[in-house]
Amino acid sequence: MILLISSKYDVSTNNVIKWLNYYGINFLRLNTEDFNSLNHFSLSNTSSKLKVNNVDLDSITSVWHRRGRLRHVPNSLNGLGKVTDYLKKEEDSLVKSIETYLKNTRKYIGSYTSEVENYKLEHLMMARECNLNIPNSMITTNKKELIDFYNTHDQIISKDLRYSINIKTEKICINSIGTFKVTNDLIKGLEDQFAPIYVQEYIEKEFEIRVFYFENKMFAMGIFSQQDEQTQVDYRNYNNQVPNRCVPISLPTDIEKKLLEFTKKVKLNTGSIDLIYSTDERYVFLEVNPMGQFDWVSKNCNYYIEKSIAKEFLEVCN
Amino acid sequence: MKTNIPFKLFANCILVKGISRSTICDLQRNDVRVIPNDLYDLLIENEGKTIIGIKELYENKFDDIIEEYFQFLYDNEFIFFTKQTTIFPKLSMDWSDSTIINNSIIDIDENSNYDIVNILKQLNTLHCRHLEIRNFNNARVNILEDILSFLNESESTIQSVEILLPFFKDIEEWITSIKDKFLRVDFIRVFKSPFNQNRVPNKDCKAHIMFTKQNYISELCCGKISQKFFSANMKAFTESMNYNSCLNKKLSIDKNGIIKNCPSMQNGYGSSDSVRLEDVISDSNFTKIWNISKDKISVCKDCEFRHICTDCRAYTENPEDEFSKPLKCGYNPKTNEWSDWSTNPLKEKAISFYNLQAVTEKP
Repeated sequence: MILLISSKYDVSTNNVIKWLNYYGINFLRLNTEDFNSLNHFSLSNTSSKLKVNNVDLDSITSVWHRRGRLRHVPNSLNGLGKVTDYLKKEEDSLVKSIETYLKNTRKYIGSYTSEVENYKLEHLMMARECNLNIPNSMITTNKKELIDFYNTHDQIISKDLRYSINIKTEKICINSIGTFKVTNDLIKGLEDQFAPIYVQEYIEKEFEIRVFYFENKMFAMGIFSQQDEQTQVDYRNYNNQVPNRCVPISLPTDIEKKLLEFTKKVKLNTGSIDLIYSTDERYVFLEVNPMGQFDWVSKNCNYYIEKSIAKEFLEVCN
Repeated sequence: MKTNIPFKLFANCILVKGISRSTICDLQRNDVRVIPNDLYDLLIENEGKTIIGIKELYENKFDDIIEEYFQFLYDNEFIFFTKQTTIFPKLSMDWSDSTIINNSIIDIDENSNYDIVNILKQLNTLHCRHLEIRNFNNARVNILEDILSFLNESESTIQSVEILLPFFKDIEEWITSIKDKFLRVDFIRVFKSPFNQNRVPNKDCKAHIMFTKQNYISELCCGKISQKFFSANMKAFTESMNYNSCLNKKLSIDKNGIIKNCPSMQNGYGSSDSVRLEDVISDSNFTKIWNISKDKISVCKDCEFRHICTDCRAYTENPEDEFSKPLKCGYNPKTNEWSDWSTNPLKEKAISFYNLQAVTEKP
């Protein structure tokens, strides 16, 4: 039996499940929104045992950890302020340990630990070690340094280091707009010292590449966001009507090899990698997202990724 | 346009050659453009070359027309320019589906008395996703409600239900009473209505509701081929490349409870009350028709619209020939003209063979 850990609302999970049903593969789906009663996770000198929602997880042969994590703190204990904070920390330690236990004993694809420890700078360093091109990047708290960086590059962008910002209180509401270009005016408005800011050289692209990978299988798609000037001028309206061209790409073998080496190095056995193919003809690594959506890659390229994933588990079950 | 850099077609823009002209089927944007066969040949032979190079190949005798062609392709974003020509593969034409039976038609009229719940249970084990219930002459709303309730209660694999039924006095109230209760219903077509009206889904009603003055007296009304039904999407196109675009993974029950590929077909595989659907599906006679793709059908195989079109195997020009052209298609791929199929003298024999005279009569 396969254990699926995912969100109730994740369409990709549903699509994979259709194929699991087709192949007659048994599975247990646990949703991250629900309280999942932990019967026991017990350790002795000779054995480890795990039972959740009255299901003995010893019969699990493999795990697809699509996203999120299980909740073992009952809903009634939410909203107790610092007590809840404390319980959540205890729970976090438990959830991560269970993941480690399952990982050491079974095929385990995806990871909550990696999802929360998604550090873009570490990934850049690892990508560089695998001989992938990376954009010139800098993190600074100093306006003068920022101006120097800005002056040495044609254009620069900024983005979040880890999560996109999403803060909502009675007084303020801050939402990330994702990656944005840093302009002279923006810099002028800054104080001399500030909290760490992540900036990168802007790379002129011929097309973007999104690679979804699952174990050793890579599914690459080219996205033509720069096709013609009209698209850029009226970007949003135009895009709803006429989506950017998305087509299959077969990556050059050496790039694929480097990416595979990278995924091993960062210990992510599934995820989505963003690359750019630059106008100066280089493949440039941007970032990896441990929980990337693959539905649009699968549909646009006719890849049947959901079928591939189900098949991957079929091999374990037989 | 970059005339000195090689051009590539976007992989989801697919060229389909017909006998007199071709199409570019844009499977990402659901768009179809007719192009001359000359352009088809030019693209097939020269993809990956520069426009300058292509002009030279034709000794610069046709520069204007080549320019015009490529401007059209570029303006519609069917092509792009890149030196990286080898990393862009063709789109895979694989079609695959996680069901044993994907869709089903169940017909009922005032005399139907076969066990529908029994069929629904079996469709569930076959992973069926879509159900069309066609209710001819009398509206049998009790049966419809029983079906919908059963789908809800059994958490059926059937995700979407389309209902065809005749207009009756309190139909508005009836639709209101079921629309929130049965979210699987995504299309209701009411025929013989005093008015024509098309209500697209909105926040109050998830289902598409259509009232039409037209009369659907029986299954004889099915099988029309029209530009209105063209659809250039990836799933349908790839299915048509490999399988029959109407009957693949379809299983139907006619108004008498007989299991068929489609209710309009002559061949039956026994009564659904006594034969198991599973046994019918393992009969190769039942499934071989699934493999009749458009490339195998006479006339259709010469048609530039063949993979964005529907098909009909129940009513064909030559009832003796399983690869014959759909009877209710008025398109001629040689002349590229549409005419009324029902008045075509060459089709008279087939029309009377199927007893379709009543259907073809104009009101």
